[in-house]
Amino acid sequence: MDNVLKTTEMRKSFGKSLLYTLPMFLITFMFITGGKPNFSDPSSGLAMIMVFLLVNVLYFFMHFKGKTDKYRAVLFIIFALSLSYTLIHNMIEVRKSMSFSQADILECRIPFCHLVIPMMILPAVFTKSIIFPGSIISGFANISSMVVLWLVATIVLGRGFCSWGCFYGGWDDGFSRIRKRPVIKKIGELWKWMPFAVLLMVVLTAALSMMPTYCSWICPFKAVTEFEQVTSVESATKAGIFLSLFGGLVVVLPVMTRKRTQCSFLCPLGAINSLSNKITPFTVKIDKGSCNECFKCVYVCPLYALTSEDIKAGKVSLFCSKCGKCVDACSKKAIHYGIRGIPAGTMKNFSRNLFLFVSFLFMAVFSAGSIINTLHGLLKLIF
Amino acid sequence: MKKAKIIAGISWVFFCLILIIILFPGLNSFSLSVSKLPFMKLNPRYTGGEIADKIISKNCTLVIRKPVFNGFLKERNSGFEQLDWHGTIPEIIKASIDYDHDGIKDFCVLIDRKNSKTVLDPIDRKIKGVLISTPTSYGWAVRIGLIK
Repeated sequence: MDNVLKTTEMRKSFGKSLLYTLPMFLITFMFITGGKPNFSDPSSGLAMIMVFLLVNVLYFFMHFKGKTDKYRAVLFIIFALSLSYTLIHNMIEVRKSMSFSQADILECRIPFCHLVIPMMILPAVFTKSIIFPGSIISGFANISSMVVLWLVATIVLGRGFCSWGCFYGGWDDGFSRIRKRPVIKKIGELWKWMPFAVLLMVVLTAALSMMPTYCSWICPFKAVTEFEQVTSVESATKAGIFLSLFGGLVVVLPVMTRKRTQCSFLCPLGAINSLSNKITPFTVKIDKGSCNECFKCVYVCPLYALTSEDIKAGKVSLFCSKCGKCVDACSKKAIHYGIRGIPAGTMKNFSRNLFLFVSFLFMAVFSAGSIINTLHGLLKLIF
Repeated sequence: MKKAKIIAGISWVFFCLILIIILFPGLNSFSLSVSKLPFMKLNPRYTGGEIADKIISKNCTLVIRKPVFNGFLKERNSGFEQLDWHGTIPEIIKASIDYDHDGIKDFCVLIDRKNSKTVLDPIDRKIKGVLISTPTSYGWAVRIGLIK
């Protein structure tokens, strides 16, 4: 173990990187292919192999190059795009439309996503029931499996879920990378507390109205998944809000600021995940002894999770999603992945290897199904 | 103390590592266990309420549900009554419903499926109007607004 690690180098040799990739290779082989790839449908088999290779090549490069964020972002963005494709494809196949009707609501056929979870909590406690027109256990995107996936991910990764597991985050992460330099450089500090205000508002309004208000009125990702059929002024207003918020917070502002503005200023689940950052074993640590206070990490942080005061105090804030951008930007390797209980500046490689294995494994397996589905669809179009 | 913290931290990491490894192969059984928790059932506002009565005619079954006034901390003053027609239903549906089982008909509903037109005759003053009237995969569903 490198508990007295002096080197600041995270890069590994080719052979060592291969060795570190081997466990990921074997586990993803089992989880993605089920242990025996099925080539009875060649395009499906090919898609499966392509995804399996993609995740392992990205993981190998994380070790070989010693960088995290850019390889994470590739899979994260592909995940977001493919999940939207999968949802829309599923909807069109089942209902011949991207919108859902009153009958779909009455028959509880709406796919469930993790953003509903904050609104479920109070009604579940007080009325012992779930306020969502979805399926509890059967079918696509059912409530029980999404709850299990999110619960485990948030315990293990904390707000890391927002950069390693959320199938929406890739949208604004992708748009935030389009420009080389930001046009808007400064946004008020107070805005980063906005998700807590949104959380409070949606939890209370959902409990009072007994409906998931964030999904019904605010969620920007309705624009790229499913939305209520426009049949009235109310449903047209909702569609307008979804499209405006998607355009503003997921496309325009991320491009202008180079930050993930939807995740930073709106997402109520991000606020809950920030709180679970307090229990997760993985953290990002600042070794004050090595830090030269260049504040590059503050500049690159996509979630406004770092300020110069945080760096001086030697602590990252609870908004950190462990994306790795600051870790990659630090030339002194003063900011690094760490483990709770282990002092900053020690066991850097050990902590990073464990964090990457856990977080990347979650993202790889969670994303594989929808990426395979998307690739399969594309391959069928080509051949 | 420092050593104990390090050991606790690493133990927590390995516990989480195992949790992630078993998460996906065990997802179905974990989900099944979660689905059995007492609060894991859909609110009557979404299911339409418990079934109160079934009227079976030739090829069609009318399911009359219990009125739903479900609220967050207490029952609300306004709610709905859901009726579901299953099976081969006629072009014109007509039903007189006594939803509160007091022996007196509370409302009469007439549905013209072809023109998607629903006409409500509110006999009782607690009947507020048609909230939803829509074709479904099993036939047709109507929600009638009620006040207590």
